[in-house]
Amino acid sequence: MTVREKKEGPMKTEDILDTKSTRRDFMKSLSITAAAGSAGLVTGGCVGKGSTEEMGLKWEEYFKKNYRLMTQQEKDDTVTRLERLAKIQHDLDIQVSDQEPREQVLFGYAFNISRCKGYMDCVEACVQENNLDRNSKTQYIRIFELNPGQLDPTSGDGKYHHEVPVEDKFYMGVQCFHCENAPCIKACPTKATWREPDGIVVVDYDWCIGCRYCMAACPYWGRRFNWGQPEVPKEEINLKQHYLGNRLRMKGVMEKCTFCIQRTRQGKLPACADACPTGSRVFGNLLDPNSEIRFVLKNKKVFRFKEELGTDPKFWYFMD
Amino acid sequence: MRKITYGSRLLFLFLSASFLSIQLAMASQGGGVMEQIESADEPFDSMKIDSAHQLPLKTVQAQELYQGGSFKVLARKDATDRFRCSVCHNNKPVLVQDGALFTHGDIIIHHGLADNALACIDCHDAEDRDSLVDKQGRKIDFDHSYRLCGQCHFRQKRDWLGGAHGKRETYWAGERVVRNCTSCHNPHSPAFKTKMPETYSLPLDE
Repeated sequence: MTVREKKEGPMKTEDILDTKSTRRDFMKSLSITAAAGSAGLVTGGCVGKGSTEEMGLKWEEYFKKNYRLMTQQEKDDTVTRLERLAKIQHDLDIQVSDQEPREQVLFGYAFNISRCKGYMDCVEACVQENNLDRNSKTQYIRIFELNPGQLDPTSGDGKYHHEVPVEDKFYMGVQCFHCENAPCIKACPTKATWREPDGIVVVDYDWCIGCRYCMAACPYWGRRFNWGQPEVPKEEINLKQHYLGNRLRMKGVMEKCTFCIQRTRQGKLPACADACPTGSRVFGNLLDPNSEIRFVLKNKKVFRFKEELGTDPKFWYFMD
Repeated sequence: MRKITYGSRLLFLFLSASFLSIQLAMASQGGGVMEQIESADEPFDSMKIDSAHQLPLKTVQAQELYQGGSFKVLARKDATDRFRCSVCHNNKPVLVQDGALFTHGDIIIHHGLADNALACIDCHDAEDRDSLVDKQGRKIDFDHSYRLCGQCHFRQKRDWLGGAHGKRETYWAGERVVRNCTSCHNPHSPAFKTKMPETYSLPLDE
């Protein structure tokens, strides 16, 4: 569509067509054309104003590959473009990382249901860290208040707002469990979501078409959808971002907990585990026999939520 | 004729069996988490993640080991407002108007049984106020209070050493730095307080 518009444009497109070139080269040359001046024509009226540089960057962004098919060079290029676009559009100095998974690392998580007090510091820290939409009050983590004997969050209260902890209640946090055999991945028609080698289930926001099949497929309510353009106050935007993590999302795409990929691939704990004042959240490398998470799995009573489904989540609950 | 039907049934059985086994093989292809964990017994050198920097926190080398060897705990003496105790506890005369301050009137003890709470000298050394003392009379440094707490809370201490209780500071990789018992618990009133949650959640839309 855009291409046809371009043919009628001022640039001599037939010159490009005459030379032997691949489709990708053709697109690239068009992007140069776009940068050259006929910005309004190319975008077809999406944005009226904006520099030619911005138009060029947006054009290149539009035709980039799925993240998994990109070469390292292409990854670095798109990261540079995103940083530059954020500067031009919002005057933000973001740092987008494309840090690869570390070798011999498989992330796992454990949640102590006898320690959690329901303070929800984790939820707030997650919202801040991951640039979640303040408008719709999107949260990756949900804490349920449960009666003793219940181990199913669906029977608990997920929207409590009173002094906690309440006597004779316990608290259970639910978020993306980063299943090894994740149903959401199988449901995605565009392969926009996958499991990284370090076990994190990620979304390529630029390849998500917003069909929400994954949301329906997930038995743990782990995924969130952006019904509108996510809104984050400018001064609250976390500038340290990852391409597959907390970079600013757009309207109509899925998002989810990424175990704070921008933090954990740098050796840090996820924001929720870091913020928890009760120490209910244990995070670490499942492949390291000396890690805390392995100690929990070996020495504590652990269970996984809906284990019978065979999703093989990497998120355990344990008790003292 | 009958034989052929029987044969085709067998063939069908064979086909479905092989199909099932292929499916099973595919399901286990990724290798379940538990299998991956069981086969991973090589310690991971988390120091090689060079982005895990040293924290700008005052720490001390723990006097005990965890499964991965030595580790550090957050120092307590520097974090305690009125340490060193012997600045006041030195048998010198004091003024009456400073009495409320000097008698620690702000400290309320909610530790131990309700009708049999702990006294100061259950943990503090009556002779040497700059030190703690355990039930066997061994002096314990304020920075290593886990050794004192652990004499009663041995179960929590075992979990703390391993990592199932307590809290690691900032990094999962790099050098292990964990919080001390008294970094989180007020030793005079160790239970966590009730309070309003930090935020709230909207009802689920499904």
